[in-house]
Amino acid sequence: MENADVFLGLQDFLERMRQPSAADFVKSIKSFIVSFSNNAPDPERDSAAVQSFLANMEADFRAHPLWAGCSEEELDSAGEGLEKYVMTKLFTRVFASLPDDVKHDEQLSEKMALIQQFVRPENLDIKPNFQNETSWLLAQKELQKINMYKAPRDKLVCILNCCKVINNLLLNASIASNENPPGADEFLPVLIYVTIKANPPQLHSNLLYIQRYRRQSRLVAEAAYFFTNMLSAESFISSIDAKALSMEETEFEKNMEFARALLSGLSTDVDGLSSQIDQIAGHDPGESTESRHKTLKEDHLVQPKSLETKPSNKEDQLSITKIPSISELENRGAAMLLKEDQTSKVFRDYPYLFAHAGDLTISDVEDLLNNYKQLVFKYVSLLKGSGGGSATFPSSGSLAQAHHHVETVKESAENRVLEQNIGLPKDTDTVDDGPNRVSNQENIESDFSKDEVVPPSKDNHDDTSE
Amino acid sequence: MGCSSSLPDRSAGRLSGLNNAENSGVPDAKNLRVKLVLLGDSGVGKSCIVLRFVRGQFDPTSKVVTVGASFLSQTIALQDSTTVKFEIWDTAGQERYAALAPLYYRGAGVAVIVYDITSPESFTKAQYWVKELQKHGSPDIVMALVGNKADLHENREVPVQDGIDYAEKNGMFFIETSAKTADNINQLFEEIAKRLPRPSSS
Repeated sequence: MENADVFLGLQDFLERMRQPSAADFVKSIKSFIVSFSNNAPDPERDSAAVQSFLANMEADFRAHPLWAGCSEEELDSAGEGLEKYVMTKLFTRVFASLPDDVKHDEQLSEKMALIQQFVRPENLDIKPNFQNETSWLLAQKELQKINMYKAPRDKLVCILNCCKVINNLLLNASIASNENPPGADEFLPVLIYVTIKANPPQLHSNLLYIQRYRRQSRLVAEAAYFFTNMLSAESFISSIDAKALSMEETEFEKNMEFARALLSGLSTDVDGLSSQIDQIAGHDPGESTESRHKTLKEDHLVQPKSLETKPSNKEDQLSITKIPSISELENRGAAMLLKEDQTSKVFRDYPYLFAHAGDLTISDVEDLLNNYKQLVFKYVSLLKGSGGGSATFPSSGSLAQAHHHVETVKESAENRVLEQNIGLPKDTDTVDDGPNRVSNQENIESDFSKDEVVPPSKDNHDDTSE
Repeated sequence: MGCSSSLPDRSAGRLSGLNNAENSGVPDAKNLRVKLVLLGDSGVGKSCIVLRFVRGQFDPTSKVVTVGASFLSQTIALQDSTTVKFEIWDTAGQERYAALAPLYYRGAGVAVIVYDITSPESFTKAQYWVKELQKHGSPDIVMALVGNKADLHENREVPVQDGIDYAEKNGMFFIETSAKTADNINQLFEEIAKRLPRPSSS
């Protein structure tokens, strides 16, 4: 099925609302939005009010000459436009509006920040063949975009995109390892793991918001299924304890304590903690403490980044224009290396670079693995930091593939939704009053008057693709 | 483990379900739409059964194709010219996720509870799910008990009669299937479709 062009849904909707014959609609929408400012937030009542308003309006659209002869898709698109418009206006009133929800968000986020320090894929029954932490970063990234949008649909799309990345990776892994195609036994554990690692901002409030304000008739079938998986991931994470991770009570507590120390003491003495990490991990303290120590420090440096809660699109775009692409940097560096007289000196810090497989002992494996993980993380961070999507990590085919799926392919129909989503930030801005301004009659007026509305640029997605 | 050949078409993955016109069609007495939830221990072949069902009747013109097998939908036509569209929700079978099942079976019209005939533990787990649904599921949910991996009869550890008896005692439909050989897969879904309560025709 060709997806109705949701990207243009809002624009089309606003255009129709400017027709003289839409005056009654405009009046209803205005008075509905204004009616919200008169009452204290009450999620149940507010949700019911929005759902029935959207349903009634959609029924009215269907019967109105403005949409005479229109297809189901066009009507659906109008419904999407209406939902987006109304919810963007009501966002600041209804999103995370209760102190309890805010508290829940904070607790959940804190819990994820702690657990992400020590949870392993095995703790969640993710089979080795399906483990792929590097590529899961891509799924995490999708989830972390959730606060870039105000409309329930756009937030939902972030979740669905995350699920789609996971599904693609699982499918690739199952083919590569000749396993059965992945079902929920494989999917849910990875979604939970990815969610913990992503620690998406205000997860609880975002899920409630989608549940309450996404038009119910559109939260069905596949979207409903994956949304339920996200709810179920949240529920699992909220009640995570030692048993849920197949850990001993004491081990779990130790891990939590250590994670707390790690998070609260980002600037304190790291050396004092390294013996603890050995204890917790059950390692012989005498053996290659040095390398683990390095890893720990690395985690320290990385930590603030993974706690970052509000990815900003503007920043992304800014950095895109400033920083040369990965491959440019790579080529430049390679050229410089070739000019150097003693190239081998540069590689002194990488002891395994010139080693042969036969030289390695079993005890080198851990060291190598640590080195590898640092390397991968630095590379992926660099890649993300530069905003480039064209470079691929050479040893990870599935990473390249998933990346390809999410960020670069534009022709195929399967990517239409994603593509539209990429175009949304600016699109949203035309409706947005910014999160701090309360909706009032004046700016509603201006949205519907011809001169004030800036049509969203159709070139949007090209801006972000380079 | 049973259905290694049942790979979905890799190129067909897309994100559907957001604005799915098929879903806006109001179900009527002739065209039913039903949510089916799959429960059972991990590794019993839940998703293999579904993949076999969906792939076996694969319609290349079908527009709803999904990545992965955790959610699939498939429409079947019955003799009496009614159609039933199954929206199939897979669940994670590992013990640590058992408490999440209510989120999935809420609103389901059908529950298919799967065990592996070579694993008595999975049969015990199946009985747990039956009890759980009797307690907390919707009262008119249609339940089916499925003994999968029937092709592995040499390793059978759960006698057919045990399955039959348990299902009969609990008013369920029972069938043994093999996702690997496709044995009884279509029969399972057709039988379920026949047992669905029909909306009173208007």
